[in-house]
Amino acid sequence: MSRTGPERASSAAGAAPMIDIRHVRKQFDVRGGGEALVLDDINLSIAANQFLSIVGRSGCGKTTLLNIIAGLDAASGGEVLIAGRRVVGPGQGQGMVFQQHALFPWLTALENVVFGARSLPLAKAEKIDRARELLQLVGLEASAGKYPREMSGGMQQRIAIARALALDPDILLMDEPFGALDELTRIEMQQELLRIWEARRKTVVFITHSIGEALTLSDRVILLAPHPGRVARDIAIDLPRPRSRTDRRFNEFYEQIWSGLSS
Amino acid sequence: MRSGSRMGDAMWGLAGILIVLAAWELATRLGAIDPTIFPGPIAAIRSAAQRLPASVFLDNMAWSLFRVVGGFILGAVAGTVIGFAAGWYRGFGYFARPLIELLRPIPPLAWIPLAIIWFGLGEPSKFFIVFLGAFFPIVTSAYHGITHVDPSLIRASRSFGLKGLGMLFHVGIPASAPDLATGLRIGWGLSFGVLVAAELIAANRGLGFMIMNERTSGGSVSVIIVGILLIGLLNLVTDAALAAFIRRWIGRWHGG
Amino acid sequence: MRQQLIQALVALLLIAAILLGVEFGVREGYLKAYEFPPASRIAQGFVELTTVGFPTGVTIWTHTFVTVMRILKGYVAAIVIAVPLGLLIGAVPVLDKMTAPLIVFFRSVATLSLLPLAIVWFGAGELTKVILIGYGCFWVMLSNVIAGVKYVDPALIRAARSFRVSGWTLYREVVLPAALPRMFAGARVALGVGFMVIVGAEMIGTIQGLGALIMEARSFYRSEITVIGMLVIGVLGFLISSGLAAFERLLLPWGGGSSEASR
Repeated sequence: MSRTGPERASSAAGAAPMIDIRHVRKQFDVRGGGEALVLDDINLSIAANQFLSIVGRSGCGKTTLLNIIAGLDAASGGEVLIAGRRVVGPGQGQGMVFQQHALFPWLTALENVVFGARSLPLAKAEKIDRARELLQLVGLEASAGKYPREMSGGMQQRIAIARALALDPDILLMDEPFGALDELTRIEMQQELLRIWEARRKTVVFITHSIGEALTLSDRVILLAPHPGRVARDIAIDLPRPRSRTDRRFNEFYEQIWSGLSS
Repeated sequence: MRSGSRMGDAMWGLAGILIVLAAWELATRLGAIDPTIFPGPIAAIRSAAQRLPASVFLDNMAWSLFRVVGGFILGAVAGTVIGFAAGWYRGFGYFARPLIELLRPIPPLAWIPLAIIWFGLGEPSKFFIVFLGAFFPIVTSAYHGITHVDPSLIRASRSFGLKGLGMLFHVGIPASAPDLATGLRIGWGLSFGVLVAAELIAANRGLGFMIMNERTSGGSVSVIIVGILLIGLLNLVTDAALAAFIRRWIGRWHGG
Repeated sequence: MRQQLIQALVALLLIAAILLGVEFGVREGYLKAYEFPPASRIAQGFVELTTVGFPTGVTIWTHTFVTVMRILKGYVAAIVIAVPLGLLIGAVPVLDKMTAPLIVFFRSVATLSLLPLAIVWFGAGELTKVILIGYGCFWVMLSNVIAGVKYVDPALIRAARSFRVSGWTLYREVVLPAALPRMFAGARVALGVGFMVIVGAEMIGTIQGLGALIMEARSFYRSEITVIGMLVIGVLGFLISSGLAAFERLLLPWGGGSSEASR
């Protein structure tokens, strides 16, 4: 697999990319001396409103890359631009959904979403209105007063999505958000996410272990190879939605990704 | 990923200890605290050594250790056996649990008068108090452990034909080991605490007696201070040894 | 439900059997009333304690009140000091590293071993007892506050940071509520420590308080009064810790109360 990879496959549209990842490197100090290279020279351009999935084995640096885009971690080298502005921290248009929902257990569903709008210069009442609207968007306006532990895994993750949308971000960064859900809930949540994505038109970067999930959702799938993490393949998925898992081309893509992961 | 290494943490800890010791020493030298009732660390150790030979300290320490280890082992064995039995055999649990729940809120030290009535002023009454200190946390944790064994482990072992005592020894007890280990640590700390108290109140040897005697016989504050430091160190060292033992016992599969 | 009924029935029968057995054993001369005070004597003793008092003039209510007040003074003082200090130490890593071994050591010092020293410093009166209780409660509370602040789920901190919440706001709105369950657990354990210490502290140099009552009764060969004192201490400890648990459920309706404290 070449180290440069297929560069900037889909920034060809001409418009400036929403997310521009340039030569991003990340290394960690290892206890007892030495360094571990986690990401090596990642280059990606992600167009506005694109739904992009990143697939790779455990330890290939997917989450680290997402955290760098989110501004939660700093890259050791290179830079990430969002709408042309260099990322220096969170809140530059990124909304994040975590694997373990990471809802605040002491806040109700509504309060969790209001928390997401904290840093907006709005009056409290306006934030609450906005949060109610988002709960409605994810179909949970009736559960506004519930605490996270009183909700099912699927509901918790919907609240987490609503919370991530509270700052009206341009970008939704999702770190294996449905990984802990059962298969049926997971399929429901995928449909739900596509509905929200179509209603609100966000650029989505979605991390998953599931090839099927990536194919169901994305315009484009990136395979990350491990040790050190690097882009192995960049595949445009030009299937119409809604997609069927029994479709012939769906399965061809599936084979292509699987062979890319096992090589 | 946490910043800083183990070595670094230890250096900071050492710095903290040195600062406190230096502040203590300095406060007595500058007269901020009265050295006749609160001598500095150096003066305390020196005058304690002058007043009592090392053998007296060691002798008292040995007695304390003997009592606490003896009482703890009795409490640990009884607590483990009764806790496991009450959790594993429902019939026995019906009888044992109410008694345990009834007696548990009574602090071990409150038993001192009854211990003296029942066992006199000698060693058995100290063993009994230490026993109580160890027994209640251990019996509670053993019971909790054995009643919270992952049901899938029970089903799995049943599918391999295990039952009765075989199941108890091969699945129930190993699976409750982490809970039991927590109870043992708490029990040890409590045993130690109640022993010192029991020695203060009714004993004629041991570290607790030594420091109380020094006070009632108008002896030296230095001995009291050194005695207290010794008690703290002894508890610290023995607890660390117990923790190390537990790590060797279950650390590989349970972690921590 | 049925099982609970059986359990309650067995417990009642068992206790009745033990009481009757002792009663019978003493009447028939198998047991000495001094060693095993029978229920009839305990009941008589209780009447005496509520009317005449033991020693004369000091009723059981006075003993209980004195003990509770001593515990409360030491306990409240310990918590008032430990909470802010723990919040500070937990938030500043260097402070935490410097104080960690000291705190472990001070906790290892058996509280009652300080009794002779405290008598030298503060005399054998009230202050010594309150200070000893305060000492025991303080270190337990302090280490639980520090642990609560230090071991906040990192996922929650990341989530908050992704909404650009940081610094003082992060501490107040995420770290503090996340630490509350642990702090409550610490407060519960500290109260138990207070009960332990008071009994020992009251056995020396006072005639008031439940610890003094049980010790004094023994030297007058009134073992039934010792037993009453023990029962009152037990009931008191049970009631107060149940009260604290109810208070916790009231204050943390999101159900964070399952966390374990360390001693």
